[in-house]
Amino acid sequence: MKTYDDPELQAIATKLSSDDPGIRRVAVLELVDTGDPDAVELVIHALQDPDTHVRQEAAKVVDEFEAEDMADALIAALSDSDETVRNAAAHALADLKDPAAAEPLLQALETSTDSFVVSGILRALKPLRTQDAQRPALKRLADADAQVRREAVGVIGWLKQPENLPALVETAQHDADPEVRRAATGALVYANPSQVGQALIGLLADEHWQVRCEAANSIAKLEYQAAVSALITATSDDLWQVREKAVDALGKLGSVESIPVLGECAADAMSNLRKAAIGALGTIAHSDGRPYVVTALDDPDPDVRKLARWAISKLDAAA
Amino acid sequence: MPIANHHSSVPVIVDEDKCIADKGCTVCIDVCPLDVLWINEDTGKAHMKYDECWYCMPCEADCPTDAVTVNIPYLLR
Amino acid sequence: MEINNIPVIDTDILVIGGGTAGPMAAVTAKEQNPDLNVMLLEKANVKRSGAISMGMDGLNNAVVPGHATPEQYVKEITIANDGIVHQPALMAYATRSFPMIEKLDSWGVHFQKDETGDYDMKKVHHLGTYVLPMPEGHNVKKILYRRLRRNRVQIENRYTATRLLKDPDGNIAGMIGVNTRTAEPIIIRAKAVIMATGAAGRLGLPTSGYLFGTYENPANNGDGHAMAYHAGADLANLECFQINPLLKDYNGPACAYVTGPLGGFTSNAFGERFIECDYWSGQMMLEFFKELESGTGPVFLKLDHLAEETIQEIETVLHTNERPSRGRFHEGRDVNYRQRMVEMHISEVGFCSGHSASGVWTDETGATTVPGLYCAGDMASVAHNYMLGAFVYGQICGESAVEFAKSRREPVLDEAFIQTELERIQAPMKRADGIPPEQMEYKVRRLVNDYLQPPKVTRKMEIGLERILAVREDLPQLCARDPHELLRAMEVQSIIDCAEMAARASLYRTESRWGLYHYRVDYPEQDDSEWFYHSRLFKDENGQMASGKRPVADYLVPLGDEKDAYRKMRVQKAANA
Repeated sequence: MKTYDDPELQAIATKLSSDDPGIRRVAVLELVDTGDPDAVELVIHALQDPDTHVRQEAAKVVDEFEAEDMADALIAALSDSDETVRNAAAHALADLKDPAAAEPLLQALETSTDSFVVSGILRALKPLRTQDAQRPALKRLADADAQVRREAVGVIGWLKQPENLPALVETAQHDADPEVRRAATGALVYANPSQVGQALIGLLADEHWQVRCEAANSIAKLEYQAAVSALITATSDDLWQVREKAVDALGKLGSVESIPVLGECAADAMSNLRKAAIGALGTIAHSDGRPYVVTALDDPDPDVRKLARWAISKLDAAA
Repeated sequence: MPIANHHSSVPVIVDEDKCIADKGCTVCIDVCPLDVLWINEDTGKAHMKYDECWYCMPCEADCPTDAVTVNIPYLLR
Repeated sequence: MEINNIPVIDTDILVIGGGTAGPMAAVTAKEQNPDLNVMLLEKANVKRSGAISMGMDGLNNAVVPGHATPEQYVKEITIANDGIVHQPALMAYATRSFPMIEKLDSWGVHFQKDETGDYDMKKVHHLGTYVLPMPEGHNVKKILYRRLRRNRVQIENRYTATRLLKDPDGNIAGMIGVNTRTAEPIIIRAKAVIMATGAAGRLGLPTSGYLFGTYENPANNGDGHAMAYHAGADLANLECFQINPLLKDYNGPACAYVTGPLGGFTSNAFGERFIECDYWSGQMMLEFFKELESGTGPVFLKLDHLAEETIQEIETVLHTNERPSRGRFHEGRDVNYRQRMVEMHISEVGFCSGHSASGVWTDETGATTVPGLYCAGDMASVAHNYMLGAFVYGQICGESAVEFAKSRREPVLDEAFIQTELERIQAPMKRADGIPPEQMEYKVRRLVNDYLQPPKVTRKMEIGLERILAVREDLPQLCARDPHELLRAMEVQSIIDCAEMAARASLYRTESRWGLYHYRVDYPEQDDSEWFYHSRLFKDENGQMASGKRPVADYLVPLGDEKDAYRKMRVQKAANA
């Protein structure tokens, strides 16, 4: 057994070689309190302990250490028989944020088939924004597992490469899973509006309301003017949440032609929608909107009245 | 002026079958911000010695063996 | 060196309080100069201490380029605090806010990002965008702990500081304290001291009557406020109490910042919004209080109009971060966000600059009025700092303290003072019989509720002060049976100090300001001609608690038109109301 100069660490190492798994488990907990860099190798050792509880404990403390030293061990732990261990390893890997970890992660990605493991690796690769992750991530957009596809969208979105837009659009439009479609729709905001605008208009009619909301958000972020009439249609969506986002987007686009529709929304029963409508009318700051804003000064909801007072000042300034 | 002990129902419960304080574990005791968990000298296990709980949960969340349960104190329930 | 057979421990920089600001200060000092000895003293255990022991669910005051400017932020906070702010300190925060987010992000703190990796800012206020959610923000303490170990900060857990030490020239010289498990005293000599002991959260009594059911982590009981006072530091605007909206009987925050971006809101009994005020402020709390007392009260958190997916998202955030026992509380009362609104109430009073503006006077360098003593976080007077402000001022104090310590030789200690303090620490355990700390604490906090809680009335506060001083007369009977009770006995003495400060500060400012926080029924108007000042509270040359005025420093950012924009969002009844 290796010996350590630091007596505290040595005491822990001794306990870690105990026959009693309970004592080994407590020793792992004590590792957290040492500042000695050598503690890392003891954690790695504990990750391979025959006792599940000891491995679980080691996995729970891995994120207390600088994980670049243990990328390999963490990737190995992703295939542990115990779910707690696998989960903790995946989280710790995602926190690596060290470019040096990209290489082993990519290698592991190449050979991994387990969906859980693949998702964990993709989540870890995302913040590293390494170009080398692009190809494997694109490939995983066709994975059978929805969680894997969702994480692949994340990797691609963070890379912000124009060449990946067709693949993201395809996923946003046709993936079977709504959360994957929503994520892909949100990722389109790095595009030139003309490349994805029509697709976003189509997504305003997605069957899942959260995708429709996300589409309205992305249109607003891109300020895609050609979407005005589709957004006007979306202001009569069945769900107030979608109508709210569509109204926000129309405000952001400064759409004067939408003012009558916004006026209708400003009289809706749902106060959150009235709020959004008056906010949009203030942002547009066109005199056609003034009558609706004046009416809203007497709205029963104070948030609406507040925004109406603000909108009046915007209208006055623009006049 | 004599001091009386008063009886109190405590919110933090430790399952003595699961608790491994006798192996040297002191996690729940270490993390309690109010220092109300102690080792019971008779059993060697952790227990709530003082009814001064903020029901903040580190003791439960950090316990390696899921032996600790934090209940909402009776006065607030 | 030994005093009374107690070895004196030497360090370059001493940080008192290991919650949020303290670890950042300690790490910063080490980053500035790894050769310095930096000691972090914590009453509990730094792994899980302070206001963010279980993490934080979001930033309320993130000044992120493209979403808000430092100038805009400074304006908003100035208006939210009725003009009584030290703008240079707000500006120092605002300009460092984004670099701090970037630093924390690189350390592994999880902020919400959009699908392309940009910060996912949310607009909650009407004039600026400052909210950055942290749905996975439960690991903040873990990350701080990792940094402390990596930088080799010396950590001393389970010690409570009781008094600060000064040298004959009036510079800071260290502190004296006691171990909370063994009752052994500790004397630390330091060239510079940073205090980050959090709010004074055990001042008022929660309406439940449970002493530890406070809004703040009850370990934050105002030790720092009391120690700073006894060391001769100025405290500022203590009459600007902290009162927060929270769930009825459960000390979980109202979470306007979590539920607001998702469509939830604070409503009256009829499911309608009633709050006129935009930014979190005493004005907002006054509206809340009036609604509670009105025929349309009480007040509720309304989420039952949201979609199932949204409710699940809210539950995940609220039941895993900051106050995770919230789910258990609701379960016990059979409350489900989907089916009914959740009753809310207001918290007990306290001192906390995180949400309001009172505390130990601190300038833009983190300096107090005692040379070498710095202050950060909820106990320092920088208004509306929240968690991110605690980090920023922790960093500022770390830098300032290193600079101060550079030219400093080993401080000279006042042995007679230390002797007296050791006697004070040891006294409660020497008594076999007497008044337990719990009873004394209950009494003084009940007096705070009865006499100092707004709406404030002069004659009531005078009676309250008299009664609080009478409790102080009972201190020679305070008795502790073990080291744990001794900790509570030391704490109750800080609580009595804070209660007296709360009464005197409230009596001094003869106007109303900051909405409910300093709502004086017999002086109902704000009076800028007499009171456009910070109020000071300090120990005068005779050792008496004294008050005074400190001019408000010239504004860096004039309010201009924004002031009117804000006024337009202030309480105004609708024409048909």
